Formats: sequence, C-alpha cells, structure tokens
Amino acid sequence: MQILSLSSVTKTFGGLVAVAGVSCGVDRGAVVGLIGPNGAGKTTVFNLITGSIKPDDGHIFFSGHSIKGLRPHRIVALGIARTFQTIRLFQGLSALENVLSGCHCRMRSGLIASLLRLPGQRREERLVIDRAMGELEFVGLAGLWRATAGSLPYGDQRRLEIARALATEPKLLILDEPAGGMNEQETLELRELIGSIRKRGITVLLIEHDMGFVMSVCDRVLVMENGILIAQGTPQEIQTNPKVIEAYLGLDDDD
Amino acid sequence: MSQGNAKNHNGPSGGLGAGPGAAANGERGYLAGGLTGLGLLAFAFLPLLLNAFAQNSAPYWLDVINTVGLYTILALSLNVILGFAGMFHMGHAAFFAIGAYSTAILNLDYGWSIMATMPVAAVAAGVVALVLAWPIIHLRGDYLLIVTIGIVEIVRIALTNNVFGLTGGSNGLVGIARPSVFGFRIVQPQHFFYFIWAVVALTLLLFHWLENSRFGRALKFIKEDTIAAENMGVNTSRYKLMAFVVGAAWAGLAGTIFACRMRTISPESFVFSESVLLFTIVILGGKGNQKGVLLGSFLVMGLPEFFRGFEDKRLLVFGAALVVMMIFRPQGLLPSKPSRYKLPEGWDDRLPGPGSPGPPTPGQKP
Repeated sequence: MQILSLSSVTKTFGGLVAVAGVSCGVDRGAVVGLIGPNGAGKTTVFNLITGSIKPDDGHIFFSGHSIKGLRPHRIVALGIARTFQTIRLFQGLSALENVLSGCHCRMRSGLIASLLRLPGQRREERLVIDRAMGELEFVGLAGLWRATAGSLPYGDQRRLEIARALATEPKLLILDEPAGGMNEQETLELRELIGSIRKRGITVLLIEHDMGFVMSVCDRVLVMENGILIAQGTPQEIQTNPKVIEAYLGLDDDD
Repeated sequence: MSQGNAKNHNGPSGGLGAGPGAAANGERGYLAGGLTGLGLLAFAFLPLLLNAFAQNSAPYWLDVINTVGLYTILALSLNVILGFAGMFHMGHAAFFAIGAYSTAILNLDYGWSIMATMPVAAVAAGVVALVLAWPIIHLRGDYLLIVTIGIVEIVRIALTNNVFGLTGGSNGLVGIARPSVFGFRIVQPQHFFYFIWAVVALTLLLFHWLENSRFGRALKFIKEDTIAAENMGVNTSRYKLMAFVVGAAWAGLAGTIFACRMRTISPESFVFSESVLLFTIVILGGKGNQKGVLLGSFLVMGLPEFFRGFEDKRLLVFGAALVVMMIFRPQGLLPSKPSRYKLPEGWDDRLPGPGSPGPPTPGQKP
C-alpha cells in the first residue's frame, strides 16, 4: 500500500530540467532513501512533494489525495512534514516554541479565543505544551526546552528540527540530509531515532549522502541522476546495480 | 504577575541558581513589583496630583499625557503588525483616519452616540485594511513599506477631496459630540485621562494575551522565518492578513477616541508624518515589546513637551538622538523578550536534574 506516489512529475527552471518525468512510490511504514550525485534533483523532488514549488507536469498523490499545487501549510495539515537541508529552525526562539510551531496546525484556537484568553484556549495551550515536551523528550532534548534554538550544538539542532516536524503529527516524514554534518556518534543516535520514528508508524523518506547510513537504515532506495530516476530497489539491489555504480563512479570513457 | 512567573520558573534550569542568589532574586522581584505598584497608583491619581502641585498648568499636562495615551493605543496596534508579525507598515494613520471619520460622520449625520460608533469605526478600518492589504500582503520588507505609504496618501487625498460628500474636504468635520460611558459624560481632560488610559490598559492586556497564544506565536514564526513557518503548517498569508486587520481595527477604535476628544477632525491630522511618528515609537521603544512601545510613546510624544523652551531646536536634538539610538541599539530601548512558558504538571520531575550538562540559555531569567 503506497502512501505517496509520484507520476511523471516534471519541473524545469528556465532552461534547466531539474526533475524529468519522475514516477515512484513510497510504501506505508517504510523507510525510503533518495540518493544521487549533487544536482541530481533530489531536493527539488522534496520541494515538489511539500508544495514549496509547483510541478510543471505530472501528479502527486498522498493517501489518495492529489496534493499537486497545494500550498505547503495545507500539505502539512494532510500529514507530510519535513526538515531542511540547511537547518531552518526559528533561531531566536526557544526549543519548546520551535516544537510548538509544529503543533500549530493541530490546534483550533482562533483570534477571538486568543485575544480574550478563553477557557478552551487555555486548556488547549496546556495540552499542546505537554505534547511538545513529549516530542522534545522523544528526541532527547526535553531538558533543553528553554534553550534558544540557535544556541544548541549542531546535532541537537538537527534533532530539534525532527521534533518540530513530528509535532505536526505526520504520516510521512521527509528528512533532507539528516546526518549532514554529524559526527559518528550523532549519526549512530540518529539511526536509532529513525528506528523509533518508524515504530510509531510514521513513514520516512530521506535524502542522504552517507551511503553506509542509507544502506543500514532504509528498506528501499531510489536513485536519481540529472533529474531522472535511474534505479530503485532494496539496498542490496542498488549496491550492485551497474547504472548506479556508473552514476557514482563514472565510466572510463566518461568525459 | 512577575512574581508568579518567578515562582513558576524555578524549574529545572532555573534551579541552577538555587541558594542565596535565588532568594535575592526573589526579593528584588518583590521590590520591583512593589515599586511598579506604587508607580501605577501614583499614575492613577495623576489628575489630583497635578491639580495639587501645578494648578495652573494642570490641564495642559493632562492633555499631554492624554496625547501620549492615545498614541500608545495607536502604537500598540501598529506593534501587532510591525512588532509581532514583522511587517513594515508605514501607513497606519490611514486606519486611524477611517476610524475617526466613521465616528464623526455617524455622529454628525446620523446622530449616533460616540460609544455606539466605536465598534463601527473599528470594523470600518478593519474592512478597509482587509480590502487594501489583500493584494499586497505577500510583499516583503521595503516593498510593503512603499505600498503602505501609498495607502496613507490615498486616504488623505480622498478625505481632502470630500469623497461621497461626507468628509467635509480640507475643512474637515466640526462639532463632534462628547462620549458618555455608563451615563457619565466625558468632557474635561481628567475625564479623558481615565477614559484613554483605561483603553491603554485594556489594549496592553488583550495584546499581551494575543502575543502569548497560538495566534501570536504564528506571527512570531512568520517574523522569524516565513518559509519555515509555512512549511510547519502556518497559513502565513492568512495570518499576516489577520494581523494587519486586527492592528487596523484597533487603530480605528483609537480614531473614535481622537474624534470625540478633539471634536474637530480634518485631513491634516492624518498625514504621512503621523504614520512615521507611530513607526518611530514602535522601533524606538522596541518592536514586539509592549512595555517598550509604552516607553516609546512617552519619549516621542511626551518628552518634547518638556523642552518647549528650545522651540525648533528640540526637533534637531530629537533627530540626533534617534540616529544615535539606531546605531548603538537598533533593537530598540526594550527589545522583545522570549515568551515564558509554564510546564504542565509532572514535567519538572521528569526532566534531568539541575546538574545536567547543557548550553547556557540566553534570555532566561529565573
């Protein structure tokens, strides 16, 4: 059962074809890796799924809904959350407030309730802080709830970004280079964290350059090169796929 | 209130300072609270104090304080747009004008009582803001700034040209009635003092609640990083628009107070420089910090009155002070502070103890 499927999705920037007719799917409950050389169009695919940019052509379905052309906040409400390649936390705000931003789309209090601090608003606020703290605890940052996001060490910032995304109660979590810039110990912890996320029944789609990480964490791997999906399969299949080896290592006569 | 918060935040990391230091902090908290209380009490009796100690100039100084109060309401409403949401809006006088003219027209032409016109003035300003801001709300920074300058000019010119034959052209509208609240007619400066400052207090309270709510947080996320906010599920354009409408509606409400206090309004009260003045108050005081905005109003609207003897030179000094200020303290006199949160029951015990390693947490005050 596929939770996400792309069919012939195309995106061009001016004369550059960033994504050319990509069709693929992500199974519910799986951890799927998207790999490829720099400039292959991986992040563009992520931006297309999350609504940050709109495809020129093709269709994107999530849980049976067409999400093509929806604005990002609508797609988050449907159940897709993301992290960014370059960390995009609210640097000046506390860890707790960062996670509360993820809770926003699951809250109901409107302008009047907020302006008059109505009882329902206060109840919701208590519940949501409790839930946000739960997510911080889940990624191991509960003790730092008051720390300003920008003051946290790099690895903690990455984990805070994941906690913030989890607070949106996603069905599909999209991680753009989650291990980027992490040391060995942090990468190990991240692998465990992704395992716990999967146990919660959340599907994970991630871009990563660390091949050891991808091969050990993912059930399936998608490979892109020059905007085209060149291979997909289990980590074992991908490791022995000649096309993939060619894309990564190049042929002798390749200029 | 600060005392209550101080207690609540003696949680895990607040506990770092446990011991004699914490006790001293507590005492200082009570002292500060006590002084603030005394100050507020003195302010509440200001009309009496002025009458007692400065009989001749009392009405004059009350008028100054009332003007400060009115501008505080206006600047607090601009603060929702500029301070909370971070949108550069320099046309706030337009919505102030719409509120004032709504009240004047309804009162003079249709015989409405002033207080009945107040909600209509707010709604009118809000609706106009909604219509005008709809197409421009996605503009960023300086682009939005230029368009909002256009808005205030359009409104002023429309008023001067006597649109729909309702606004009285450049002469404006004359003879607006005085308001009566619960049967008490507000006529003299000391009446207006309580009327205006009660609205200031109400504004401070409501916007404080607004700031520390789902709505206010959404604006904060937008100010910090609009793209990240949108990607975390905040409908950014809707919230920006709502912030704009709330700020404009509250300025409309302030327009009602202005109209009935002056009894005469004309387009020259709502020129571009008024918008700049409000903008200055918010930026100088500290955008996003309501206490800063209050301080800013006193400095920008009140302080120059003390230096009347210097005549035009005071503007020179004022300008120079602003320049110095922006160089050395661009975040404003009282920059916005991180919000405080109280953890629900049980969390304090679940968290690692005070000895746990962790980076320092800036902006945290036990």
